[in-house]
Amino acid sequence: MFLQTLITGLSIGGIYALMAVGYSLVFSILNFSNFAHGTIIMLGAYIGYFLISSFKLGFPFSFIGAIVGAALLALINVRLAYSPLINRKAPPLYLMITAMGVSIFLENMVYVTVGSHFYSFPEIFKQSTIKFFGSDISPLDLFALIFSFIAIFALHLFLTRTKMGTAIRAASYDMTVASLNGVNMNKLIGIVFILAGAFGGLAGVFLGVKYMVYPTMGWITNKAYIAAVIGGLGSLPGAVIGGVILGVLETFVSVYVSSVIRDVFSFSLVILFLVILPAGLLGKYLEEKV
Amino acid sequence: MRKKYYYLTLMLILVFVVGIFITACGGQKQTDNQSEQQSQSQTQSEQSQSNDKEPIKIGHEVALTGDASMWGQSEENALQMEIEKINAAGGVNGRPLKLISYDNRADSIEAVNVAKRLIEQDKVVAIIGPAQSGVANAISSVTEEAKVPFIATTATNPLVTVPKEGQLRKYAFRTCFIDPFQGTVAAQFAYYRLNAKKAAILYDVGSDYSAWLAKYFEDAFKEMKGEIVGKEAFRSGELDYRAMLGKIKQANPDVIFIPTAQKEAALAAKQARDLGIKATLMGGDNWGSPDLITLGGSAVEGGYFVNLASMEDPDIQDFIKEYKAKFNADPVLPNPVMAIDALYMLVDAIKRAGTTDGPALADALENTSNLKVLTGILTIDPSTHNPLNKPAIIQQVKDGKFIYVEKYVTK
Repeated sequence: MFLQTLITGLSIGGIYALMAVGYSLVFSILNFSNFAHGTIIMLGAYIGYFLISSFKLGFPFSFIGAIVGAALLALINVRLAYSPLINRKAPPLYLMITAMGVSIFLENMVYVTVGSHFYSFPEIFKQSTIKFFGSDISPLDLFALIFSFIAIFALHLFLTRTKMGTAIRAASYDMTVASLNGVNMNKLIGIVFILAGAFGGLAGVFLGVKYMVYPTMGWITNKAYIAAVIGGLGSLPGAVIGGVILGVLETFVSVYVSSVIRDVFSFSLVILFLVILPAGLLGKYLEEKV
Repeated sequence: MRKKYYYLTLMLILVFVVGIFITACGGQKQTDNQSEQQSQSQTQSEQSQSNDKEPIKIGHEVALTGDASMWGQSEENALQMEIEKINAAGGVNGRPLKLISYDNRADSIEAVNVAKRLIEQDKVVAIIGPAQSGVANAISSVTEEAKVPFIATTATNPLVTVPKEGQLRKYAFRTCFIDPFQGTVAAQFAYYRLNAKKAAILYDVGSDYSAWLAKYFEDAFKEMKGEIVGKEAFRSGELDYRAMLGKIKQANPDVIFIPTAQKEAALAAKQARDLGIKATLMGGDNWGSPDLITLGGSAVEGGYFVNLASMEDPDIQDFIKEYKAKFNADPVLPNPVMAIDALYMLVDAIKRAGTTDGPALADALENTSNLKVLTGILTIDPSTHNPLNKPAIIQQVKDGKFIYVEKYVTK
């Protein structure tokens, strides 16, 4: 029972972590919470769904297509909606409000063009289970969990081992100084959004396969955002740890306490936790972040 | 600047008023047309019968336009067909029946207007319909006051006839079973037919429908000495039920009852199979949507659910054949069969009461018992005005389709 609960918690947490990474990446550079990220995830899921069901591309290509598509959408999003504000040195609060606007706009665009119908991915993994010390795990969960952590690890390598990664980390400490040292800020912001978008597309396809595809699915990211806050906004390892903590905590509460009061209970714990550690587990405590 | 705003507001108000007028008039016209057609067809049928006795007028309020019109129109067709047959056989107490159908657009306000018009202008003896619980609740204020009974067709919410515990609407009846009754049917079917001794429930705590079904299932299952090994809940809008299902899995139930909407049911089924749960899954009539299969895929395969009616029900095959021959289309279930049950119930009550007087008719309706109707044997529970032991249809998901399993009558 304990092991089964832990496995379930980990696989839910893995998805939270995947989504939380997108929030943290953007926050680390631009100091604002990109609430349009959930919508990018939703669009990624739609792209994946239509590639696989209407264009019959097969899972691997649809998967890649969704990642590329979501990354491009994130880039368009930043160029059209955020860059004009960033260039005029708007405070992060305005960026956050713009992000909310973008999110509502895109969501309603989907309602108008695609409709509110629920879609389900065709069954990629046959309904079956893999036995693991007397507990069951579905092949999809296992695949999602492993793939998420590989992707996050690859991102970590990119940020620590490449020149561009170093520039991103430098900018996350101080944007002005980084740009004085010859970092092309415009290009850098573009790359950060492409990375965040790619992770959004990845998370979108996993969510779509696991649950279903519909216009408001982006709101699941509320929990991922909270996970990012727990881990410390702006910190990549923090986002992963926060996601896993939240997923496992929720699962344990609903199994050992009560499924009805799960959210009441687990979110009281979250509030209590933030009262004690306002910057999250690994966050740097800075003022003026929104 | 100020003047500009003033004009703007004025314009807006104007647009609103005109808009309201247009929509209201449009609606009115539709109902008028409907009734004109109606009376024309009625005069024709009367002439052909050359019956000079004053007809018994039966009101019928139903959605003939809008989203629910598909069922409404089918209901009207079916009733006309049956009434023609009754009239051809000599009518009721020597008088022919006359159906007056008005469009309520499945809208509570329109429905109240329609009910008033039926009672005050057309002087109907009773009303068949409406089909929606909310609409039925709305018209009950009119019918209770006017002492004219109505027999709802598919209004399955318990509150339609019993708005509060211990309080009964004397003039409200229905021919469908109430929502929670499905829980009882499912429990007995699981116990007696599937030989389940241990059952678990996964329900939506944010939905009355779901919570009631869960409660009735639990009560009925326990009454038969079955064991409820798990009762877990989630909130509407949630997507992941693996934590609750993991707990249920540990208890190893024979069946899991999931009385939720098709979307949640499909997700829960998928996740249950992911966790290696092999138990039979069961649900209520909300499962009867093609979405269950497209979203649930192979996970819902083999699951059973309770439904109001089925095209494969052997008892209604003659009706379907007749309907098809006359209207060149399939009846849209379950409304037409429920409406015909209501008509039989009303005819029986008029015969027994010997009068069409409201209170006497309501008393007779209340004491309907062992009456042969289209879908089976109908008995009304005098304390709730709901049908007792109304047969329910059990359907199963098999090879990606809904198939008819049996007609189940509770013990």
